Amino acid sequence: MAQQANQPLPAGFQLDEYCIEKQLSLGGFSIVYVATDGQGQRVAIKEYLPNTLALRAEGKTAPIISEEHLPAFRYGMKCFFEEGRALAGLAHPNVIRVLNFFRANGTVYMVMEYEEGCTLQELIQNNPGRVTENFIRNVFTKMLNGLREVHSHRLLHLDLKPSNIYMRNHHVPVLIDFGAARQTLACDAPMLKPMYTPGFASPEHYSQQRDLLGPWSDIYSVGASMYACLAASTPVPADIRKARDELKPAMVLWDGKYSDQLLETIDWCLCLNERYRPQSVFALQKALTEPVVAPDPPPKDNWLGQMVGRIRKSRDA
Amino acid sequence: MKFTIYQETRIGKRANNEDRLAHCYSRDALLTVVADGMGGHYYGEVAAQIAVQTLTEAFKREFKPRIRDPFMFLQKGMLNAHRGILDFAGKHHLQDSPRTTCVACIVQNNVAYWAHSGDSRLYLLRNGKVLAQTKDHSRVRLLVDQGVITEDEVLSHPDRNKIYGCLGGQQTPEVTFSHKVTLEAGDVLVLCTDGAWSGLPGDILAIALKTADLLRAVPLLLGQAEARGGPTADNLSMIAVRWQDTYSDGSSGGSSVISTRTMPRDTVTTKMDEFGRNPQSRTELTEAEIERAIEEIRSTIQKYK
Repeated sequence: MAQQANQPLPAGFQLDEYCIEKQLSLGGFSIVYVATDGQGQRVAIKEYLPNTLALRAEGKTAPIISEEHLPAFRYGMKCFFEEGRALAGLAHPNVIRVLNFFRANGTVYMVMEYEEGCTLQELIQNNPGRVTENFIRNVFTKMLNGLREVHSHRLLHLDLKPSNIYMRNHHVPVLIDFGAARQTLACDAPMLKPMYTPGFASPEHYSQQRDLLGPWSDIYSVGASMYACLAASTPVPADIRKARDELKPAMVLWDGKYSDQLLETIDWCLCLNERYRPQSVFALQKALTEPVVAPDPPPKDNWLGQMVGRIRKSRDA
Repeated sequence: MKFTIYQETRIGKRANNEDRLAHCYSRDALLTVVADGMGGHYYGEVAAQIAVQTLTEAFKREFKPRIRDPFMFLQKGMLNAHRGILDFAGKHHLQDSPRTTCVACIVQNNVAYWAHSGDSRLYLLRNGKVLAQTKDHSRVRLLVDQGVITEDEVLSHPDRNKIYGCLGGQQTPEVTFSHKVTLEAGDVLVLCTDGAWSGLPGDILAIALKTADLLRAVPLLLGQAEARGGPTADNLSMIAVRWQDTYSDGSSGGSSVISTRTMPRDTVTTKMDEFGRNPQSRTELTEAEIERAIEEIRSTIQKYK
């Protein structure tokens, strides 16, 4: 049987003190809505609704959960609580704020701040010309401030990618979707597979040894996100790279277009061995905020430029 | 404060686990407690639970964000636990009150203060050597001190389980206090019950934990101790804390290092296993747990508003 999609709550539905405006996104585990609160403030509401376990038929509010799926549904709820707990304790301008958390319709809801903007992915797809050296350094250095705060609470994001970086008012990066975030030391029962996005997930995500996960795993995803911004496409997934590494280094692809130092930093984050990557966000930020050495202009295509290039080369050699 | 901490308890080969352990910390103070409910008495695990709960709850009340007088805190905490156990015995009309050992340690301003009653131990390890250890309140320990028996005879002595200091007994408990000890970066504090220490000599413990990752080393050590316990291995429990340089940069040390620098002044993080059963063995949430989880998240949100 084909998987049925869950029906979202209809526009105008009164949910606790909030009035649903529209559905914002639909994921495997949840639906996100835009709603307005009692004061007319717009908020985003995330509804826990794993579509493999709970089904909401059209015109109904409470989802139907069969007896056999109830334990798994409740277990998934535990993960949803993890996300709520993780976010509730974080107050940082580069991390999404949780405003409320409540129970209704047989499931649970998380209310978050909503602001105008779009995801980094949308921003790049719509303005490919904006991806300059400064843009990348600026966005990622700020985003890393948020990630540093996350790590200092002993949490890992574990699903970093351009579509999980929201650009508030189109210029301030905010980390969203902590659905995969876990307390680093919390024991995971193997009932739900860890969530990850191929291309952005680190090699450790794929292996069974979850104790290898650490700040360096999020850092791999940061590197993959920067790479994706330059390439305007998803990098080769880490599991495929592990079998045969065909990911072209950033240094090779964009030599001369961006500073060597930025490209080296991207390749550094994308090391398959977790020990060779920057080990902390702080180390990565340091690399990103170092003074930029402008790339050498490519030799001009006339005979004079070629001569100059040749002389330079012979002098360097 | 910056430290790595790991705690684990195992049932050994016994029918139930009467060891209880907990740690909690605020921005500027850390409390660790280990209690071993006495098997010869009924409700030993209740006594042990009362002991760790009384101390952790007192910590949550009294840190601001430090404990004003750590030794006073430990003394009051242990005496209150003792009275709590007697109250429990009275309320349930028990013939004999349950008993427990207890060892607890506070670290703040880089100084460690500890106290114990009974034969649960604290070791302070520095540079692969035992720098300090508590002296058991046991008959065999007295015999060793008096030169009647040697250290090696302790583990096989018929009276090895007889202890005179405990919470919940007829007499006011005997509690021994440490000196103030200033910790250095790399120092390891180990609190453990007799099930753990009887299979692990102090010097081996000191070498094993010198530089190892506590999250890996402690389970290995407990495994060894359990194996040595044989077919009747006692419950065994251990909390190990590696103290880190408070002034070093936050980027080193990996994800398991706890840095309390960014904690709000008014919060405490507690790790205590649930009463009666191991919460990790369950995956299903009960109604009450859902309500509690939501309440917890809401109160955290309120705090940061």
